[in-house]
Amino acid sequence: MRLFVQRSDVGEFRRRYRWMVLFVLVTFLVLVGRLVLLQLVEGDVHRAQARRNIVSEGFLATTRGVIRDSLGRVLAANRPAYNVYITPAQLDMEKAWPLLARLLHLDDAERTALEQKIRDRRNLDPKDRRRQQQILVKVDIDRDAVAYLETHKRELEGLTVAPSPVRYYPYGSLGAHVIGTMREVDREELAFLSDRGYRAGDRTGAIGIERRWESYLRGQRGMRKVVRMAGRRMDQAELEAKYLEEPRRVEPIPGRDISLTLDIELIESMERAMHGQLAGAAVAVDVRTGRILALLSKPSFDPNVVSGGQGIKAVSEAYTRLYADPLKPTLDKTISAAYPPGSTYKPFTALAGLADGLVDPHAEVDCRGGFEYGKRYFRCTGVHRRVNLHSAIVQSCNTYFYELGSRISIDRLASIGLDFGFGVRTGIGVNPEARGRMPTRGWYTRRYKEAFRGGFTVLSAIGQGATTVTVLQLALAYAALANGGTVYQPQVVRSIETSDGTVVQEFPPRVKRMVGLDQSHLTMVKQAMQGVVTDKHGTGYGGRIPGIDLAGKTGTAQVSHVTPRSVDPNREWYFNRDHAWFAGYSPAASPEVAIVVLIEHGGGGGKNAVPVAMRVIRDWQKMKEDRLAARAAGSGQAKGNL
Amino acid sequence: MARDHITARGSPGIDTPLLLAVMAIITLGLVNLYSATSVYADDGQRAQLADIYVSQIYWIVVGTLLAILVASIDYRSFDRLALVSYFGGLVALALVFVLARSIRGASRWIAIGSFNFQPSEFMKIILILVLARYLHNDPKVEPRTLLDFTRPALLTLVPVALVMAQPDLGTSLIYLLTAGSMLAMTRIRKRSLVTLAVMLGVSIPLAWNFLLLRYQRDRITSFLNPENDNTGAGWHAFQAQTAIGNGQLFGEGFMQGTQNQFRLLPDQFSDFPFAVFCEDWGFAGAVVLLGLYCFAVIWAIHVASQAKDRFGAALAIGVGANLFWHVVLNVGMAIGVLPVVGVTLPLFSYGGSSVVTMMVGLGLLMNVSMRR
Repeated sequence: MRLFVQRSDVGEFRRRYRWMVLFVLVTFLVLVGRLVLLQLVEGDVHRAQARRNIVSEGFLATTRGVIRDSLGRVLAANRPAYNVYITPAQLDMEKAWPLLARLLHLDDAERTALEQKIRDRRNLDPKDRRRQQQILVKVDIDRDAVAYLETHKRELEGLTVAPSPVRYYPYGSLGAHVIGTMREVDREELAFLSDRGYRAGDRTGAIGIERRWESYLRGQRGMRKVVRMAGRRMDQAELEAKYLEEPRRVEPIPGRDISLTLDIELIESMERAMHGQLAGAAVAVDVRTGRILALLSKPSFDPNVVSGGQGIKAVSEAYTRLYADPLKPTLDKTISAAYPPGSTYKPFTALAGLADGLVDPHAEVDCRGGFEYGKRYFRCTGVHRRVNLHSAIVQSCNTYFYELGSRISIDRLASIGLDFGFGVRTGIGVNPEARGRMPTRGWYTRRYKEAFRGGFTVLSAIGQGATTVTVLQLALAYAALANGGTVYQPQVVRSIETSDGTVVQEFPPRVKRMVGLDQSHLTMVKQAMQGVVTDKHGTGYGGRIPGIDLAGKTGTAQVSHVTPRSVDPNREWYFNRDHAWFAGYSPAASPEVAIVVLIEHGGGGGKNAVPVAMRVIRDWQKMKEDRLAARAAGSGQAKGNL
Repeated sequence: MARDHITARGSPGIDTPLLLAVMAIITLGLVNLYSATSVYADDGQRAQLADIYVSQIYWIVVGTLLAILVASIDYRSFDRLALVSYFGGLVALALVFVLARSIRGASRWIAIGSFNFQPSEFMKIILILVLARYLHNDPKVEPRTLLDFTRPALLTLVPVALVMAQPDLGTSLIYLLTAGSMLAMTRIRKRSLVTLAVMLGVSIPLAWNFLLLRYQRDRITSFLNPENDNTGAGWHAFQAQTAIGNGQLFGEGFMQGTQNQFRLLPDQFSDFPFAVFCEDWGFAGAVVLLGLYCFAVIWAIHVASQAKDRFGAALAIGVGANLFWHVVLNVGMAIGVLPVVGVTLPLFSYGGSSVVTMMVGLGLLMNVSMRR
C-alpha cells in the first residue's frame, strides 16, 4: 500500500526529467561549442600565443663602426667598460666591503654613501626583491683592478664585474665636435626608432659624424631565439628543434667603418697653436679638392665622458657644466656659428669692384683716419695716407673700402659673396649649419622697415654691419681664391668601408661652382694678400714666422655682443673685445691648403690670429715633408692627401 | 525513461554503465593530475607537489571504500541520518571560523591530525540528503506556492551563509544551484515562478552590493571587461584559454602541453585541470571527457526516473545536479564563459575532501540505482 502511494508521488517529478535532460544536453553543447571555437577555429592563434609564451628572442650585439682619419688613425672605436656591481644581500660587510672600497679607490664620501645604501637594502624585509638587486659601485675600472677582482672572487661574494661596450675616443677632446659623441636614445624617439631596431638603453650618435652617419655606423643586431627553461629540465637542443621556428638565429651585421678626410695630427697642431686662447675655431681645407683637413672648435670637451664612458652620472654632470659655460664649449664654432668676417671679407669686395670696373687698381685714396658718408663718420684703423688697392689690402685700410662701398651696390657685394659660398649652407653634412648672412637691400627693408641707407653698404664692404660668415664658409671661399675660383663641395668623409676593410663607397671631390673671375684681378688681390705677411707694413707681418710661406688676410671684427647674463661682470671686458681673424692659404705661389683661424674676442687679427696660422702651417709643412720622406724611404704608410 | 524497465531489472545489481563511466573519469583524472604536477618534479621547493597524485590515489581508495559502504546500506535508512548530520555539518562549518587555518585569505579547512578536512565539501552531500528527506516527507499534490518552500530555503540558506562568510563563493553557488535543481522537480504555481523571477531580479543587485566581497566582485567585472582587469583573475583565465586553444584537435600529447610544462597555468591541479587536459589531449580528448560527465549526469536523471520513491529520486537528482554544476562552473571558468570562481572539476581536481565527497555522492547514486 505504502509503495503505491510513493509511486504516485514520484509521478510529480516525472514530468521534469525530459526538461532536465534537455537542459543538460544543451549546456554541454554550449561548452563543446566554445571548445570548437577555442581549439579548432582559433587554435592557431592560441598556439602562436603559447609559443610566444615560451620562446624569447635574445639579441646578439653588433659592433659600431670605427671612425678613422685620413691616415687610418682611429678616432672613435669601441671598448668594454668594466662596471662593478654588488648584491647587498650577499656581501660580507665585515671583510669584503672594506677590501673592495680600498681596491676601487672609493673616496670617503662615496664610501659612506654606498655603505649606507647597502645597509639600508640589507635591513629590508628578507622577501623584498631590492635586497637582491645589484647596486652599481664603480664604473669603468681599469684592467688591473678587473684582474685583481677576478682572482679574489672567492673572498668577494656578491660582487659582479660586468663589461658593457662604450664608445672610445682615443684623442679625447681633439676634434670632438666633428667626430661626434653618443647619447642614449630617449623614450619619445623610441616610439618611431623601434621600427629601425632601436631598443631602450641603446645609444645613438648625438652630434658630428656619429650622428650624421649613424645608420652606417650602427650595424644591425642579430637575433637568437631561445626556449625559456621554466618547466621540467629538458634537453635544450630537443626543445629548440620542437618549438623554434626558422630562422632560429640571425647573425649581427657590424656597422660600417668610416674614413674621414681629417688629419688628427693637424687638428692637434691647431690645438697647440691656439694654446692660451680661450675660445675660437680653425679650419684647414685642401684647396684642390674641397676636402676638410682639420676642424677645431675651442673650448672643447671630452667625448668619452659625454658619451657615457664614465657612467650616466658623469654625463649629466658634464652637460650641466658645459651648458653653464659662457664660452659655449658645446657649440661647433666652425660650422654652427656665424661671425662678422671683418677685413677678411675685403678681398671679395675688391674683386667685385674690379670686376665691375669701379676700381682702378692704381688710383689712390687719401686715408685721414676715416670716411665721411652722409651724416656719419666711419673710422679707419689708423691714418694710412695715400693708399691704392694693393696697399689698402696689405695695410687693411678701411677708408679705401668705405669709399669703394659708397660706390658699389650692396646687392653686388652680396652676389659675389653668394658666388663664393657665403650666405648659404655649405652642405658639409655634419652638425647643424649656420647660414651666415649676405645682406641685400631687400633684407634691410624687411628687417628695418625703413628706407635703405648707403651706410649699410659702406659697413658691409669691410665685412661688418649685418654681414656674417661661418669659419667653414670663409675657409672654402679662400680655397676658391687660392685655386683660381673653383668652389668645392666640402667633404669630411672620404670613404665607407666594411669592418674587414673593403671599400663600399668613396666620395670623390665635387666641384660646386666656378666663380667667373678675371685672373688678372685675382692675381692682383693674391699679390696683396702675400704682402699682408711679407710687406713690413702688412697687418700680418708682425706675426709671421720667417720661412713660412703663407698668404692671406687678417681681420679684426668688431663685436656688437650682448653679454650673456651668466657672465661675471668682471669678465665683461672679454666679451666686448674684437674677434681676431686670419684667413689665408699656403704655399702662396701654388696653394695647397687654405686655413682660417678665428680667435673669439682675441683682439687684433694680425697680432693674435696670424701667429696661430703660421704655427699650424709650419707643422703642416713639416708633416708633409716627413710623409714624403717616409714614402720615399719605402715604409710607405702615408697615404694622406697632403 | 520508460517505466517498463523497472520490472525488467531484478533486485540489487551493480549499475555497470555508471560504474564504467566513473572509473573512466577517475582514470583520466589521475593521468591528468600526473601530467599537471609533473612540472614540479625538478623544483627543489615544490618537488613534493609532483607526488600528489599518489595521495590522490589514496583518497580515491578511501572514497571508493566509503562509496561501497554507502551503496551497500539501503538508502532509505539514510533518511534518519539526514537531520543529525545536517546539524553536525553546521557545527563543523561554524567551527571553521574558530579552528581553521587560512589559505589564501579564506578559512575553509579544519585540521584533524595531519589531515585538513573541509566541512563545506561534506555539507554538499548532507544538504542533498536533507532536501531529499524534505521532498520525500512533503508529498503535496497541488502546485506549490513560494511559501511552501520556506523550509527547504532555510535549510539551504543557513549553510550558504556560513560558507559565504569563509568566504567561498564557489561552494555557496554549488549549494544554491544543487538545491534549486532538486526543488525544480516539484510542481510550482506559474504565478509563484513569476514572483520568484522578480525576487531574483531584485536580490542580485543587493547581493552584489552587500554579500559579495571586493575580490569576488572584481573577478566578475574582470570577466565582463577582461581588458581592465586588475585582479590577475583575467590573466589566469587568459592563460587557461591559451592552453586549451593550444591543444587544437588532438592536443600536444601527454605531458607535452607547453602552457602547463612551462608553468604558465595557474592552479593547474586544483582550479584548471581541464586546461591541462585540453592542452594535452586536444578537442578530441575534451569531447570524450565532457561526454563522460554528460553521460553520468543524464544517467543520474535516468536513475531518478526509475527510483521507487521520492527520497531515491531526489537523491539521484541531487547527486546528478551536484556533479553537473561542478563540471559546468569549472569548465565554464576554464574556457572563459563564466567568471573565475573556485569550483573543483569532479575527480580531476586534487583534494581529499572533494574526492571523498564526490565518491560518497556517487555511492548514493549507485545505491538508488541498485534498489529500484
